[in-house]
Amino acid sequence: MRVGIPKGLMYCKYHPFLVTFFSELGAEIIVSEDTNKNILDAGVKYCVDDACLPVKVFHGHVDSIKDKCDVLVIPRIMQLWKNEYICPKFCGLPEMVINSIDKLPLTITEPIYATSKKKLYAWAKTSGKFLSKNNYQIKRAFIYALNAQENYETGIDDSGYEINAALIGHPYNIYDSYLNMNLINKMNSLGMGVKTAEFTGEDILYREAENLYKRPFWTFVRENYGFAVSAARGKTADGIIYVSSFNCGTDSVIIELIKNTVPGFPLLILKIDEHTGEAGIDTRLEAFRDMLERRAFNESDSPAHGQHTCCSKGTL
Amino acid sequence: MKATVPHMGNIHVAVKALFDGLGVEYIIPPQNNDEALNIGTKHSPEEICFPFKIMIGNYIQAIEKGADTVILTGSCGPCRFGEYCELQMNLMKSLGYNLNFIVLDMPKDIGIKELFKRLVAIGAASTKSRYEKLKAAKQAILIMHLLDETEALTHYLAGYERNKGQCKRLLKECKSKAMKCTAPGEMLSLIKEYKRKIEYIPVDINRNPLKIAIIGEIYTVIEPYSNFYIEDKLMDYGVSSKRGMTPSWWLKNMALSPLKINSLNIKKASREYLPMEIGGHARECIGEAMLSFKEGFDGAIQIFPMGCMPEIVSKSILPSISKDYDFPIMSLVVDDMTGEAGYITRVEAFLDLLERRRDNVLYGS
Repeated sequence: MRVGIPKGLMYCKYHPFLVTFFSELGAEIIVSEDTNKNILDAGVKYCVDDACLPVKVFHGHVDSIKDKCDVLVIPRIMQLWKNEYICPKFCGLPEMVINSIDKLPLTITEPIYATSKKKLYAWAKTSGKFLSKNNYQIKRAFIYALNAQENYETGIDDSGYEINAALIGHPYNIYDSYLNMNLINKMNSLGMGVKTAEFTGEDILYREAENLYKRPFWTFVRENYGFAVSAARGKTADGIIYVSSFNCGTDSVIIELIKNTVPGFPLLILKIDEHTGEAGIDTRLEAFRDMLERRAFNESDSPAHGQHTCCSKGTL
Repeated sequence: MKATVPHMGNIHVAVKALFDGLGVEYIIPPQNNDEALNIGTKHSPEEICFPFKIMIGNYIQAIEKGADTVILTGSCGPCRFGEYCELQMNLMKSLGYNLNFIVLDMPKDIGIKELFKRLVAIGAASTKSRYEKLKAAKQAILIMHLLDETEALTHYLAGYERNKGQCKRLLKECKSKAMKCTAPGEMLSLIKEYKRKIEYIPVDINRNPLKIAIIGEIYTVIEPYSNFYIEDKLMDYGVSSKRGMTPSWWLKNMALSPLKINSLNIKKASREYLPMEIGGHARECIGEAMLSFKEGFDGAIQIFPMGCMPEIVSKSILPSISKDYDFPIMSLVVDDMTGEAGYITRVEAFLDLLERRRDNVLYGS
């Protein structure tokens, strides 16, 4: 049996689990290609126009593999941590896809509550039924999949750069180099080190998020807000680059929270959507880099306005 | 303490009754208007949803009249509404207003003790006895129910009335007179009287008006300013309309949700298309679309603010319902930039389409 897994949304973070689980059950795994123009176009064509870019791209991925597989996995990630959601669109993702794209094969849309092993196993048990009747085999595949996921690490923590920027955003925006137009490479080639949230301990993230008046109910508030604030306060980064897709509901809140907590800390918000022009992104990145450089080497925290500033070292 | 609450449809009438009964000082912000929206848009984050912006406008206009405490409900669903309190507190502080927020959040999130503490903070401003406080609360809830019923009745009868405009006139009169009452008991009997009046308006039972359900995001369907007074307009057109989302429904739904026996009919109706709760009122939107189809409505109009996450999911499901059941549904997106003319044109075109369907007029064939 051929199992199709679209390479969209949280695939970038949780693919070892999904791929290992289904291949251990004897399935042939069909993964869609990396995001490209055709996938983006198909996504824009099929998806409801108010949705955000990553959801549209997910529709494109589904469209590209729907004819090549017998079963399609549409992960409905409800909660990754207790009492924390990702976004309402994640909870309703299967419905969005099923009602937008015609002629889909069978779909696996069981809700995923990854709050404990037991709850995650409940997902595995029902989803595994598509491929195997053998409970023992499903359990074995589940354990292998968990191990594979535990051994897999994402995250970037560059060293050796003079300027470091905390790159914040949803993982599917950060790690999809087509959507963000090779942002990480661009930052590196501009001489900026990239740091992502994965290397900050959960305890620090929790501590920062606990200072909020309201306990956050989105995983990304804790991750992104916590990382941004700890990077700013702990001086592990010189500035924050926030990659956000246009009309993202959670980001509109998170960015405000960051701005409120660490006002005055350099923050560049890059909005991406299906029309983003690359030149604009380049210009903004370069300007941000120059600004950080001047801050670090010439002026420290004093405003640049009305002062004589010399050109930055070497690059201009 | 001078309390204020943001506007949402008719809740200010019930809130007035509650505070009158409690003897707490309060300020009702001016009815939602363009200026409130302009103030809100100026200060709010760019990408936040529409209700947030207009609420900021409400606060600032209420502060100008002397308010110093905001009472706000919260939620901890995946929808953005739950984060409003925090963002609004920060925003009002950075604007230099010294505003006290009392957030009535779900007990599941803050604990029943904390909720009780916050409720007591409101009650402490009142000098009345405990019996009178409870009585005031009960009367406010009754008023909300009655007003919602009266409104629903008016919207329904608007399609059948003999004297055109009577329903709308009576409803308007009822609301403006209710705001002049000084005691909850007086208001209660006034609304009852108007309800009776509306029940006995002359109707033409032989008419068969278009029937439309208004579904979608709770704030934009309940607050008439945000949906360009669509229900008043439908009354003018002689169309019967129904809206399941009301403040009293919301209250009942919240109270019953811990026992999971809230809105069972909606849950049942939505099972086919959206089998689980995804936050906000997406499931209710789908459920109501299905229910209104089963009740023989001609069509449904979905209204939601731009970028509303749960409603985007329901918007992508609604075309399937429309196709499977041959039931016309139109989605309208509103925000601070919506132009009224384009919006009204779409509503009118939709009504024309429904009328033609009924007469089986096939254009061009």
